[in-house]
Amino acid sequence: MSDGYGEPISAGASQHSGELTLRFDQAIDLGRIDAALQQARDRGGPAPESVTTLNLVAIYFTAAQYERASPALEAAGTLHPCRLIALIADAMIEQESLSASVSVVRSGGAVTMERIVLSATGRSVRHLESAMMGLLRPDLPMVVVWGGRPLGDLLQRVVDSADRIITDSGARPPNYLAETAALLAKGAPIGDLAWARIFPWQSLAAETLDVPNLREHRGNLRKARVVCAGAVGAEGLLLLGWMQSRIKRLEVSISAEGAPDEDAQAQQGPIPRAAPMGLGHVRLLEFTAPPATFTLHREKSLLLAQVKGDDDGHCAHRVRLPPAVPGGLLAVELKILAGRDELYAQAAQAAARLLREGNP
Amino acid sequence: MPYAPEDDEIPNPLRPGLRAESAPEPCAMVIFGGSGDLAHRKLVPALYNLALGAHLPAAFAVIGVSKTPYPHDEYARDLREAVGKFSRTRPVDAEVWQDFASGIRYVAGSFDEPDTFARLRAQLEEVDRARSTRRNRLYYFATPPSAFPVLLRQLKEAGLIRPPGEPGFTRVVIEKPFGRDLASARALNRLVLQTCDERQVFRIDHYLGKETVQNLLVFRFGNSIFEPIWNRRYVDHVEITAGEELGIEGRGRYYEEAGVLRDMIQNHVQQLVCFCAMEPPVAFDADAVRDEKIKVLRAIETFDSPDQVARSVVLGQYLAGSVAGADVSGFQQEKDVAQGSRTPTFVAARLNIRSWRWDGVPFYVRSGKRMPKRATEIAVHFRPIPHQLFGENATQPNVLIIRVQPQEGIALRFSAKVPGERYRPRTVSMDFRYGTTFGAGTPEAYERLLLDAMRGDQTLFTRADEVEAAWKIVGSILKVSESAEFPPPHPYAAGSWGPVEADELLARDGRAWRRL
Repeated sequence: MSDGYGEPISAGASQHSGELTLRFDQAIDLGRIDAALQQARDRGGPAPESVTTLNLVAIYFTAAQYERASPALEAAGTLHPCRLIALIADAMIEQESLSASVSVVRSGGAVTMERIVLSATGRSVRHLESAMMGLLRPDLPMVVVWGGRPLGDLLQRVVDSADRIITDSGARPPNYLAETAALLAKGAPIGDLAWARIFPWQSLAAETLDVPNLREHRGNLRKARVVCAGAVGAEGLLLLGWMQSRIKRLEVSISAEGAPDEDAQAQQGPIPRAAPMGLGHVRLLEFTAPPATFTLHREKSLLLAQVKGDDDGHCAHRVRLPPAVPGGLLAVELKILAGRDELYAQAAQAAARLLREGNP
Repeated sequence: MPYAPEDDEIPNPLRPGLRAESAPEPCAMVIFGGSGDLAHRKLVPALYNLALGAHLPAAFAVIGVSKTPYPHDEYARDLREAVGKFSRTRPVDAEVWQDFASGIRYVAGSFDEPDTFARLRAQLEEVDRARSTRRNRLYYFATPPSAFPVLLRQLKEAGLIRPPGEPGFTRVVIEKPFGRDLASARALNRLVLQTCDERQVFRIDHYLGKETVQNLLVFRFGNSIFEPIWNRRYVDHVEITAGEELGIEGRGRYYEEAGVLRDMIQNHVQQLVCFCAMEPPVAFDADAVRDEKIKVLRAIETFDSPDQVARSVVLGQYLAGSVAGADVSGFQQEKDVAQGSRTPTFVAARLNIRSWRWDGVPFYVRSGKRMPKRATEIAVHFRPIPHQLFGENATQPNVLIIRVQPQEGIALRFSAKVPGERYRPRTVSMDFRYGTTFGAGTPEAYERLLLDAMRGDQTLFTRADEVEAAWKIVGSILKVSESAEFPPPHPYAAGSWGPVEADELLARDGRAWRRL
């Protein structure tokens, strides 16, 4: 489904020790799930505290997809204590089945995540939504991690009920950005890991224009171009969309060059490093304010900026990319629990215009 | 706070709305006392962790200045070893370290010699060229206080301190203790302010870099349910403890000069009192927050007579004893401590805050070396219920505990019915642990404070008038307690919570210290 752009919210293998599994013949018994949750809490001995700041609902369409995402969800949930309700709706399997597995995650003895994984196959998938509604903890925001394509009735219902929806445009071909932009235009509270991925590029671009002798170029920005690795990706379009939404009459272009990093799928070592440059990720951003040209490019874990053509001569600037830890980007997006990031909404809509104009 | 825009400047079109915090401006940080303990144990590990988290400026350099002769690379190797030993994150990331170490320089020389500062100037010019640090300077005085005046004078004479407004910032971070009494603090402030503008001065108290101390502001002013009861109508008394298991750890010479009043009360403990007692600031900025803290310090009653000190202050000094199952020697047996020393290693005091909010609510503070365990906390004791519905003494007054270290967090003690029996209340504790709840590695206090200094944010640093107000209170105790007529500190066994007189101080008011 992801066409080589990476798995949504993915991060390696998962471990599920201490899980309690329940199977249901017909409807899902919420009382049994509650009892199992209590049992899971008691298993680790009395917890001195149980903290929950949100309901995190994750929706996937195959068990494998969820398994890959699970470590990231768990890590993000440790930073933002939550009740995680994962829904795995596999309608492609004809046989009907309904099951739940329940576990808790402790951090320093305290329960910081209650995890309920509801799986359904065949026609039983229709029960998942109502069961999820019954399992939400009251008064807390509901943030939905959406692993599917940004369209369909289910997503529309999620948009109507959730405080926030987090997707990953970078895990899909970039034309799906148009669908996301359409939802954003109607006020959908959507967040995007592809957007979080370009924060360091945005910071560095903004910082170069804060350099005292370069501030004079702020009013004269004319053109911007992005080069993506291997294929044009959503990150590059969002980066250009952001610039175009900030700067009137900015001419933009986007292209793809070279291949993504060879070790893009490799496991991280003991010391976390910046994520390898994946398919469609940004390789270079260049913007011009004649006679100055600002070139930002990635070299392993560093983003480097160079400015040429300025009266005061050559100037260099750089930032270190943050280490990629499972769930890191999701944790960044979970800093907003309700509503949308206006800057992202504007950038996504500008990116969608670029797509319509056939820019990539 | 990367820069102050000119009035006619076009705003940066790419800056508004960015969620990533902006990195500080490029700068060179000069550590005076670069070969010392503080640099090795705290400052450089903090800088390394900032580099690891991609928080350091794009262009950065560290220049150590000390007497010890070192070639640059040997100094860098030495710091690498220190980071391996003292960093909160290990193992050390070779790639990040290599990048960070490429900006490390060293200048050997005496602070008394102008030549040292001429060479420092040349070194700074070199890093401006090689590292693009753009004449931004952060000078860190990690030296004994006796060196502060000479450092200020030499920096000024070498033209290394530029006034605000000129290209390139100059900031000076000054470690505690800031003076040893009110007169010396005033003299030092005068000297500092002859050399720098107050906006360039960062008087550091690392307690303010602790997440839980900052969280106290969020707890008080980010919730609506606590502030209405945070006053004399509902609060019976406040208890602040800053206990250390450790002794003086070979710092006999320093401690003999300082004692617990200068070492802990004048800075850390009074800061905790301020954060606990201050009024809500009108804004969350450096001056608004510090204005409110100063009001608290000014409202604390000073000790004007020996009688008042004797009634409200208990000083102690530890004898040999046992801490955590190990025998430890008494204070007077420690290295560089004089026989018959009168230096207090423990203090308990009753502070009265004469303000609309707090009048009549005593703030009991205590701090000591060689306590049974390391514990710093604020306990807000609420008044008892007016009528005992469930039997005499069946319920205990509520207590809100803010644990600063270790196990940072907040606990609330309240009464609950024991299940199954008739109405038998039992006090239970609802416990919020800061570190485990949010899972993220808590940054060291120095990381936060160094970053703030690079950004020019003075909120968590003390202002000149604040330091003087704090000295006024402690100075009034010192004036009496350091006179020959005042009795020597009460002895207490190492591993106890101080002399029995400290318990009597509260017992006289019908209260007792919490058992920690």
